[in-house]
Amino acid sequence: MKPYFEKMTEFGHALKKGRIKSTEENLNSIKKIEENVADEMNRVKLAGFPEEKINARGQMTVWQRLEYLVDPGTWCPLHTLYNPMNNEEGTTNVIDGVGKISGKWAVIIGFDNKVMAGAWLPGQSENILRVTDLSKRLNIPLVWLVNCSGAKLTEQEKFYANRRGAGTPFFRHAELEQMGIPVLAGIYGTNPAGGGYQSISPTILFAHKDCNIAVGGVGIVSGMAPKGEFNLESAEGIIERAKQSRAKPPGSVNVHYDETGFFRYVFEDETGVLDGLKDYMKDMPAYHPKFFRVTEPKEPRFPIDDLYRLIPLNPKRVYDFDEVLARVVDSSEHMEFRPDYGPEVYTGLCKIDGFPVGCVGNRQQYLGRNYPEYADYPGMGGKLFRQGLIKMNEFVTLCGRDRIPMVWLQDSSGLDVGDAAEKAELLGLAQGLVYSIQQTDVPMMLLLLRKGTASAHYLMGGPTANRHNAFTLGTAASEIYVMHGETAAVATYSRRLVKEKEAGRPLEPVIEKMNKLAKDYHDKSRPLFCAKNGLVDEIVPLCDLRKYLLAFIGAAYQNPKSICPQHHMILPRIIKG
Amino acid sequence: MAQEIIAPLDGKVVQLHIRTGDKVEEDEEILVIEAMKMETPIFVPCDGTVTEIRVKEGDQVAENDVLAVIDEEHIEV
Repeated sequence: MKPYFEKMTEFGHALKKGRIKSTEENLNSIKKIEENVADEMNRVKLAGFPEEKINARGQMTVWQRLEYLVDPGTWCPLHTLYNPMNNEEGTTNVIDGVGKISGKWAVIIGFDNKVMAGAWLPGQSENILRVTDLSKRLNIPLVWLVNCSGAKLTEQEKFYANRRGAGTPFFRHAELEQMGIPVLAGIYGTNPAGGGYQSISPTILFAHKDCNIAVGGVGIVSGMAPKGEFNLESAEGIIERAKQSRAKPPGSVNVHYDETGFFRYVFEDETGVLDGLKDYMKDMPAYHPKFFRVTEPKEPRFPIDDLYRLIPLNPKRVYDFDEVLARVVDSSEHMEFRPDYGPEVYTGLCKIDGFPVGCVGNRQQYLGRNYPEYADYPGMGGKLFRQGLIKMNEFVTLCGRDRIPMVWLQDSSGLDVGDAAEKAELLGLAQGLVYSIQQTDVPMMLLLLRKGTASAHYLMGGPTANRHNAFTLGTAASEIYVMHGETAAVATYSRRLVKEKEAGRPLEPVIEKMNKLAKDYHDKSRPLFCAKNGLVDEIVPLCDLRKYLLAFIGAAYQNPKSICPQHHMILPRIIKG
Repeated sequence: MAQEIIAPLDGKVVQLHIRTGDKVEEDEEILVIEAMKMETPIFVPCDGTVTEIRVKEGDQVAENDVLAVIDEEHIEV
């Protein structure tokens, strides 16, 4: 398919000196937010005991293990700031992301052994389920660094049970295995109870010589059989039993390597465990990239740092979406799908790392007096109209047909509203897009460039499409809310204003409430809030966006469940005509 | 050569960054028009000098109105 892919249409322009001069403040503002996010991430990294203390015990930290395990330059962390239950530890206590091990992409997750020896904490199971979902969506191995002391017992009611509680990941591991997706686990430290299941549920177990895994740990072995209360006599008994169990904790290597054989391998050194994982990863199922590449990989023709000048932090500010896309795709080349239809939406085929990818984004500019065609008012980009919705339905369907992974670049204020929009069938076309996404079976990722608003956030590959959305990235400019805070304040208080006015009462108290609500919306839509609550899977510096795109697309093409021969693809032919 | 800066849409001028006589550089933002809740920045197409400004902040403008005039800088080759 050389005629289609080898040399596609170039797009984008180099920044001129005037634009560089005008955008200095925007660049500095975005970098300041990114520094703030980086500080928060560093705080998570430093949670718990210091590295020196863990190393003094002869152990590596989870971060050191990851650094040793993952191929240099490939680590793309996810969920770093995720802490939906507001744990005092500042973390869900698992560290995860996508990276290469021995040249192959894997989803990688480990317990932070600096924090309560890797205990289960509130919000952790939801974090793990995002990770198992990611492995399932991308059809790539899940690699665990298990080091889990079991539940934080003083908060067990927040995570032990429930539909998506701490036991649910064990079922997900089984599901992955049934789908043929391997789960590899390096096991360290003491892993009782929940930690025992974390250890036993993966497919191949690589054990460190000092680890143990067990149905119940020292605490349970020494403290079972409730007697209604504690007294001095029972306390003495507990002390005696605990001393015995601590000397020889249940489920050590002697039992689970020598007796049960659960551990496939045992290693003397911590790094030996990681070497074992690396060795196994070499044999994990994967196509050579040449199987799916349509050209040799090439860098974009423009520097990615231009994004700091092209994406305005001000959410009201219009910009040129095509220039943004030209900074992240190979050679800044594309084949645009239906450029003369639905001008508020970009749809097109691009290449990332030499692989074909379907890209969708919101164009922001003024659309002229005659668009949307069904209304007597002009349209502004960022909104979605009838033609754009139809075009996205077509594009998604064709990407699904051709087995082309998709990247959504979202920055939308929502759908057009009013009777003209209703008559133009926007509601039905929007749900039609949900249907179109649902009936495809290709991995998608969302890059939330700026606004994720109203139903457009759902429709354009948002995390609500959780069978399809592998992960969602936010930027320093991202904000997510059902509507802008000021719009919400008007919707909430407009009738109250009318009533107060008619009654001759002062309006100031209502105005105060309106301002408070608008501020609340602002505060609860910022990047840090979105990351902490899982509305995005990571806030990524603009200069790292292409790195994540490479990881996504490389992982999506590593071992896809379904293949469309390049010469059978229909989308490039439709674009060419 | 004089270059007219044309309004691409109806709206209100909410920011004006230039004064008559200012030197401007190609693709520099010189003003902002607000319409339909969005702000559209206006960029100059060439290096030059601002010779005329026909709007002020707060003015309503119509599509195709002339907003300013730039005397394009000529570079001797």
